[in-house]
Amino acid sequence: MTRENHARALLLAPQAMRASGTARLRRMGLVLLGVAAFVAMCVDLKLAPEAMLAGMDKFGQLAAGAFPPSDGGDLPRILKALAETFAMAFAGTVLAAIAAVPLGILGAKTVVGQPVLHFAFRRVLDWFRGVPALVWALILVSAFGLGPFGGVIALALADVPSLAKLFSEAIENGDERPLDGVRAAGASPLMVLRYGLAPQVTPIMASQVLFFLESNFRNAAVLGIVGAGGIGFELEERIRIFAFDQVVFIIGLYMICVAALDTLSQQLRKRLA
Amino acid sequence: MTAVAEFEVLRRRTLRRQRRETLVGLLIFSAVLLLSFQRSQFFSSDIGGDPLGRIGDFLTRMVPDLKGDALLEDRRTTGSLAWWFYDLPVWLKLGWQTVEMAIVATVLGAIGGLLASFLCARNLMPIAAVRFAVRRTLEAIRTLPDLVLALLLVAAFGVGPLAGVITLAISTMGGLGKLFAEINEEVDARQLEAMEASGTGLIRKIRYGVIPQVLPNYASYALIRLEGNLGGAAALGIVGAGGIGIELQRAITYTEFDTYLAILLLIVGMIFLIDMASEAIRHRLIGLGEAR
Repeated sequence: MTRENHARALLLAPQAMRASGTARLRRMGLVLLGVAAFVAMCVDLKLAPEAMLAGMDKFGQLAAGAFPPSDGGDLPRILKALAETFAMAFAGTVLAAIAAVPLGILGAKTVVGQPVLHFAFRRVLDWFRGVPALVWALILVSAFGLGPFGGVIALALADVPSLAKLFSEAIENGDERPLDGVRAAGASPLMVLRYGLAPQVTPIMASQVLFFLESNFRNAAVLGIVGAGGIGFELEERIRIFAFDQVVFIIGLYMICVAALDTLSQQLRKRLA
Repeated sequence: MTAVAEFEVLRRRTLRRQRRETLVGLLIFSAVLLLSFQRSQFFSSDIGGDPLGRIGDFLTRMVPDLKGDALLEDRRTTGSLAWWFYDLPVWLKLGWQTVEMAIVATVLGAIGGLLASFLCARNLMPIAAVRFAVRRTLEAIRTLPDLVLALLLVAAFGVGPLAGVITLAISTMGGLGKLFAEINEEVDARQLEAMEASGTGLIRKIRYGVIPQVLPNYASYALIRLEGNLGGAAALGIVGAGGIGIELQRAITYTEFDTYLAILLLIVGMIFLIDMASEAIRHRLIGLGEAR
């Protein structure tokens, strides 16, 4: 479309090339309103350019002090904390999966047919899906004392709603025909579940659980900030004393571990599929 | 050997192999699980053992002492709703600040992600080295947990919402950059070819050929991200990066477990409202509204 063609098209069929005047005005008004709201929010949050620049300056200083990274002579302790973080993630994921299986079955439309019950159950799960693990960890550590126990429960609590929802979707999407087949062969209801449904849903569920293990390993790193042990605790301690060379070392090591676990879990998931 | 006998041999062999694999898998799994429980002191006796009992005890401490006949009294009356939510105006203010943080950070992160997505989309960026560098950077950002980043930024930018907004904006950029790049790569080339054939310039090609295809998808992903960022913003206050999290921290400092539950319910309600609004907008964007 050359410039002349574009002009001609505008003349011939203005509606096709451009919305009507009022629609354009309305759209422009909406955009302006959006920009104004955005600016107002920035002002309300006191996001001043000077503060930004001062922070960048400080960050540069901190970053300059972070090189070269060093383990601060505490490598065994750091490795132990990493192992603890993985342990928290693993235990939390397994607990969440165990709790999510019955909830997932209850949440499946094909199991609980009653629409009101189904809707209410799903909604309750939805509400708690947004609560991050750290929010749970803060109160659990206060209740159970410093240490990884609160972290494990926090990870499990944060995962159960999402896992249960995914499980019930997996069950709902299961093919009815294998179940009919097993039933037609004269199997008991339990056998129908074992040989008709389980082979369909277990690989899906297992792969979802692996996915949550990956994400929990990432999340578990922050739980130490509120005293739930693991690598987050070591990180927080070193940030507090501005030992940024060690902070960078730990973050680097941790990212390598995350990448390794991701790769391993990806391999496992590929085998499951 | 008859066909049946051959089948039986094959079946036995397969079954044996499957059982062996299951057994090995189970053994590894149990070993890791055992070690995990041991490392995370799950059944450790020096903190009282009995994990289930302690969870139950904790839940009862979270539920406030409400009295049926005093529910609607003012906040000086023990057992009323107002007494339970005793600092509601402050919480609502901080809650709104949390929403603002999530929105501002999502907008900034989406803009950053948009720029990054053009640099790492296969059909838009011809230089492979740039694509590689941008992709790896985005991946690194996604690996770093938000709150670790927040801790670092609070050290640099000081306590307050600024550090939180920057944290969320960076992590949003990491997440959306990748998704936006995928959208860019899925742009239907035929529409662009048709325009090229009629001699359209680059700007008009983007305006009439690319934007109508990608804009609804961009917006939809950004809105999903906004929902997630709201939860993230609520947690950020715990490390001093602004928002309602600071009140959670305070409630814990004074061991007010029932106050914690009150604030938690506010956060859940807030997330629920934003989810509903965002879902409504998303459905309109992808045209579900008309279809219904």
